[in-house]
Amino acid sequence: NIGLHYLSKRLYVTQAARKAEVAEPFKFPPQEVQVTKLPSGLVIASLENYSPASRIGVLVRAGSRYETFDSLGVTHLLRLASGLTTKGASAFRICHGIEAVGGCLSVSTTRETMVYTVDCLRDHIDTVMEYLINVTTAPEFRPWEVSELTPRLKVDIAIAQQSPQIGVIENLHAAAYKNTLSNSLYCPDYMVGKITPDKMHTFVQNNFTSGRMALVGLGVDHAVLKQVGEQFLNIRSGTGTIGSKALFRGGELRSQTGGSLVHAAVVAESAAASSAEATAFGVLQHVLGAGPHIKRGTNSTSRLSQAISKATAQPFDASAFNATYSDTGLFGVYTISQADSARDVSHFHYAVLPLSQTQLKAEYLMSVENSEGLFDAIGTQALSEGTYHSPEAITQRIDAVSSNDVVNAAKKFMSGKKSMACSGNLVNTPFMDEI
Amino acid sequence: MRMLTGQREQVTIEIEKRHQNPEFFAVLPRVKMASKTPAATGRLLFTFKKWYYNACGFNKLGLVRDDTVYENTDVKEAIRRLPEPVYNDRMFRIRRALDLSMKHQILPKDQWTKYEEDVHYLQPYLKEVIRERKEKEEWQRK
Repeated sequence: NIGLHYLSKRLYVTQAARKAEVAEPFKFPPQEVQVTKLPSGLVIASLENYSPASRIGVLVRAGSRYETFDSLGVTHLLRLASGLTTKGASAFRICHGIEAVGGCLSVSTTRETMVYTVDCLRDHIDTVMEYLINVTTAPEFRPWEVSELTPRLKVDIAIAQQSPQIGVIENLHAAAYKNTLSNSLYCPDYMVGKITPDKMHTFVQNNFTSGRMALVGLGVDHAVLKQVGEQFLNIRSGTGTIGSKALFRGGELRSQTGGSLVHAAVVAESAAASSAEATAFGVLQHVLGAGPHIKRGTNSTSRLSQAISKATAQPFDASAFNATYSDTGLFGVYTISQADSARDVSHFHYAVLPLSQTQLKAEYLMSVENSEGLFDAIGTQALSEGTYHSPEAITQRIDAVSSNDVVNAAKKFMSGKKSMACSGNLVNTPFMDEI
Repeated sequence: MRMLTGQREQVTIEIEKRHQNPEFFAVLPRVKMASKTPAATGRLLFTFKKWYYNACGFNKLGLVRDDTVYENTDVKEAIRRLPEPVYNDRMFRIRRALDLSMKHQILPKDQWTKYEEDVHYLQPYLKEVIRERKEKEEWQRK
């Protein structure tokens, strides 16, 4: 009888709806992404997606690759310092002000970019935008506030050291590159407590310039963003320090940690993000297998898994590793295996299935379905190229990859100079020259 | 030391009150004093302040005014925020003064702190601490 009661309630509602004079519902025409490039170099991109929650972000080309040798780890500290006092607002006011409107300020860093994001309800966007601008353009880095960040820094580093995957990928980049991209995302142990506010100010002065920033908004008016960009994000103009080109050297780093598993990654240099080969490498990644498509499944369709399961009966996991940066890239294989099943990298089949192209398209389209993924996509494209390519354009690009391209990409991987990083119980793990 | 500080605060408050009531000055018999220009009043005030500073006597122990400020929670927080060289200098001066007062001595006259050289190093930090506390209280009230 509870069901009947609920049913009768619903019927009441529909009756009421029929009785009321309902006006024609307001039509929301779907909007396109608008991109403007200001004369100062700042790129502004926005999309009106009619969502009740808006998301604004400032992306800066100031990732860990731009750290200098005497200030390694400054981006890690900057990541933690987003809530500190600025010229316009104290730390207390930033925290409580954003909390009061139910917003959220977050920072994330990749090796190339730093992304400051605020999201909140559409009506309160002015308040949080003010805090965002303060944090990105006018931080003060007061010495006592910066020294209070040291415990948080230590916790961050301890958490990162718990995860073997993070360790292997950091070691991989340190081994593969001579400069820039070899800088770790995390602060090295010897720099904890030694990064002074002066170093942070220098880094911000040199890298947070309008020519290297992009202001991206979802659910905001483009004119408003443009005004904000012109008025407030012009503090430092120019391009700042020019980063140097990443030099691939193909080294090897082994980290013996004990335990029963071995995490290993073997990569070769692939293509830069702006080149045509980058998409081919993406497709190749899905050919070889980029993670299971069924949750808690066995990943039996991946070619890598199939090839390796012929070589050993013990449990393992393997996926293709593909990382693209603005002037270089890494492509290879990441494996997790038992300590005593020493394996060589298997030979790959060169025949390409259209299936992998569909998988890549699906992965991309699904990633831009939610607002974080869409924001990331718009932001990274705006920052690196100054324009936005719609998902249709991206899918066309993926379709344009022919099997020849993928074969060439695979050949480039097989013949290129390799780099390797592994950690775990390395008693049976082959060295790079033995593979 | 504390008594002296209290007296100084009282005297400064009295002087500020007089400045706030210009009519009061008008009531004073103008016949005896020559009419003063602002510059002359400033010079008189400066002389008085300097006399009072020397009368307080902490400069004879090598101390500076901000070394003697009473340490309530705000001042403690401001002291915590001092940069290390400034804090070390403060500690040195306080220790030297404690040592001298134990021995019932004072410094030779050429080492006394001069009124013109007295730097109020703690004031910027103290002002900031008070401003932050007021901001917090304002926020709690809303």
